[in-house]
Amino acid sequence: MSWKKAGTEARLLLVGIPVALWSAFPIYHIFLFAISSKDSAFSGALWPAQPTLRNFGAVFKQEHFFLYHFWQQMWNSLWIAATVGFLTLLIATCAAFAISRLRVRGGRLVMNAALFTYFIPAAFLAVPMYKAMSVYGLLNSSWSLVLAMVTLASPYAIWVLKQASDKLPWELDEAARIDGATPMQLFRLVYLPLMLPSLVAIGTYALLLAWNEYLYAFLLLSKETNVTLAVALGHFLSADDSPWELLMATGLLYGLPPAAIYYVFRRYMVGGLTAGAVKA
Amino acid sequence: MASVHFRDVRKSFGATEILHGVSLDIADGEFVVLVGPSGCGKSTLLRMLAGLEEVTRGEIAIDDRVVNEVDSKDRDIAMVFQSYALYPHMTVRENMGFSLRLRKAERAIVDERVGRAAQILNLQAYLERYPRELSGGQRQRVAMGRAIVRDPKVFLFDEPLSNLDAKLRVAMRAEIKALHQRLKTTTVYVTHDQVEAMTMADRIAVMNEGRIEQLGEPLALYDRPANLFVAEFIGSPAMNLLDARLRRSDGAAWVELAGARWALAAGAPGADGQQVKVGVRPEHLRLGAEGLAGEVVVVEPTGAGTELVVQCDGASLTVVVHGRSGARPGDRVLLAPGPDHVHLFDASSGARL
Amino acid sequence: MTSMQRWGLALLVPYVLLFLVFVLYPVLYGFWLARSPAAYAKLFEDPVFFRTVVNTLVFVVVAVNVKFVIALYLSGFFVNTRPWIRWLSVLFILPWAVPSIPTIFSVRFMLNPEWGMVNSIIFRLTGADGPNWLTDPTLALSMSMLVHVWKSLPFWTLILIAGRLAIPKEQYEAASVDGATGWQQFRYVTWPSMRTLYLTSTILSMIWTLGDFNSVYLLTGGGPADLTHVLATLGIRYIRLDQLEQAMATIVVSMPLVLPLVWFMVRRLSRDGTQ
Repeated sequence: MSWKKAGTEARLLLVGIPVALWSAFPIYHIFLFAISSKDSAFSGALWPAQPTLRNFGAVFKQEHFFLYHFWQQMWNSLWIAATVGFLTLLIATCAAFAISRLRVRGGRLVMNAALFTYFIPAAFLAVPMYKAMSVYGLLNSSWSLVLAMVTLASPYAIWVLKQASDKLPWELDEAARIDGATPMQLFRLVYLPLMLPSLVAIGTYALLLAWNEYLYAFLLLSKETNVTLAVALGHFLSADDSPWELLMATGLLYGLPPAAIYYVFRRYMVGGLTAGAVKA
Repeated sequence: MASVHFRDVRKSFGATEILHGVSLDIADGEFVVLVGPSGCGKSTLLRMLAGLEEVTRGEIAIDDRVVNEVDSKDRDIAMVFQSYALYPHMTVRENMGFSLRLRKAERAIVDERVGRAAQILNLQAYLERYPRELSGGQRQRVAMGRAIVRDPKVFLFDEPLSNLDAKLRVAMRAEIKALHQRLKTTTVYVTHDQVEAMTMADRIAVMNEGRIEQLGEPLALYDRPANLFVAEFIGSPAMNLLDARLRRSDGAAWVELAGARWALAAGAPGADGQQVKVGVRPEHLRLGAEGLAGEVVVVEPTGAGTELVVQCDGASLTVVVHGRSGARPGDRVLLAPGPDHVHLFDASSGARL
Repeated sequence: MTSMQRWGLALLVPYVLLFLVFVLYPVLYGFWLARSPAAYAKLFEDPVFFRTVVNTLVFVVVAVNVKFVIALYLSGFFVNTRPWIRWLSVLFILPWAVPSIPTIFSVRFMLNPEWGMVNSIIFRLTGADGPNWLTDPTLALSMSMLVHVWKSLPFWTLILIAGRLAIPKEQYEAASVDGATGWQQFRYVTWPSMRTLYLTSTILSMIWTLGDFNSVYLLTGGGPADLTHVLATLGIRYIRLDQLEQAMATIVVSMPLVLPLVWFMVRRLSRDGTQ
């Protein structure tokens, strides 16, 4: 019996170890570059001879041509992501409430239009969106990215919030109506407090989507001082002798906050994100 | 306080009409129970009165005011839901005071009225708790408290007791009745449980398939059901119903069934030879020296009495005997009702003769 | 109109505006831009285009199916309850939780033929030089697919884990009692319950994979010699070349590939929503 048990454990480990290496290695590789000096970064060693934090110092002090606007770009990423999170939440919550709880006529049509947008691959929508932004004269304005990301994030947000609000008992609304609540009082005093967990998940989703976005940011923004960190990272590729160790240090600084946020809200995120799919 | 009037009220969902012209007048202070099997339209009727469903045709009035187009919140009604529908994120105090808060009532008035309702319902100790921290019976009371605080013109109850266990249900029944006697607020109460209807109502409206089958005081319904549906629905155990032929001769009347004859009261209606349904309540059947022959198949002592199931020529009759019964399964017995306790219904229409 | 309807319409306005201004108008305008047959003629003449279509099909079919077979297998691994497996699952999510750019760049450096980690390990182990990962078109596209799988595997594994956890334990207990082997349990209990989820997820993943710009662009840039483009990067390439008509024509040409899948998903989810 214990032999059999040991065999099972061994088989599990045989899967587990490759999975661990596979998942972690590219990220460890970023870390490795980030703590290596310029010379040792390219040695192919798994641990630098003299690990250093100098790269981070260089990033913080904006000591390289590619990093002259690091703090500005960090700030751009931050406020754009936060604004997208807020606006998506605002628009999607209103729409989900109208569709799910007020059962507005035409709600289904709007839901389908939103779903349709959600399923059109973002890279395909980018082309017409780019053209439209230039027609609207928004190209190179941070607002073009904000609005584009809200457009991309809202459909899924509406869908998830609608699913979540469909689960609230209908009698609560009826009780509130009989108690004398207007639709807006129902929204403010009953709906919002009960939807709080889903709102946290969706706000985080939209925020991360905007923070992580590369394609739209790089299409819509081009001025060094208004691009996001994601685009700034891409610029490193424009030269052959770029300081890769600085790129990786910056990449780590850029990649860690969303990962941390994700882990903090993991419970909400996984539940919220998988709910829609698992139902099918 | 107010009277409530339904005038030829109809409701359709799409092409399907589910209420076919219901008229009902409820007097000020009256406790009316709408009872019927699920799908009979009783809840829809209540929800239309609450303003939660639109009226397709006809009129609903509270006092003299037609409320068809009036929003729920402006009808001055309070409703207790089957699921209680308490706001999960509010304490008991906040739940009960919510309607007043929406009406921008002064803090002191809210506190005073919530306090009074809590006192009536014995909820003082729970005012700061959340619904999830309460038992089913306590939640039910909070739901009622929320209604009381409003001091509305009409109370609406939608199957308020069906989520409670049997013992609690009996207790809450008494509580609601006591509450009504104390507040004298016009009440419309929906249930599928005829025992609730019988015990609580001033008047009962028995509904079936979108119509009111019979409207009347509980005992009137019990003693003189207007048709087979009401006869079967009201009373537990249910009335025994048998096919029979009515006979008359020399001023005497009786029914013939399976070779036996049961005498009828002198003034019994109906024509000689007419095909009828005979109804007898279980407690009105007697084991005696003559009557319908059968075999006892089940004996169920309930303590206060005994329920017998007797198999008679294909039909199965229930007999309730007071006290203990010496009958045992397998016994051959003869069954007959007292002549005043036989109900006759037309075999084809089901209407009382 | 009741006040509910009035408020409902008012609350829908922000999203409807957003949709009209940033989805419907751009799409219609884009189609209008792509109306001239010349744009298509030019597109079909571009040697890159044909290669791109083949690449896209290979990418979608191979990457998605490989990913799902692995995800299905790993979902079975992760439902084992061991403390270390719970820790491993935290690590396993990382590729999905970290943004693409740093990680894809990291892989790009790893694959550098001269100083990349991969080739230096190969050299140390075998004494031979490793392949030119990103300058050989077939290898480069394969590496893009690998990056794609690496990035999106955790998400789909999570979905399939949720699917597996939704299967009542009694079914496995009953199957065990009936003497089913591990494979038979999978064949007769797991798979029948997961089939619909697996299919829906695969379709959805195909749609998203069609739109995966990062895995190709950030790793290979579409090179060498524009031989690793997929439809998602080709449209953007035309934009960068200032050929907007071509870019739109590319999108229009991909619609026969995308729309049936999108239609399938919208129908499916929209029906679910009404249940």
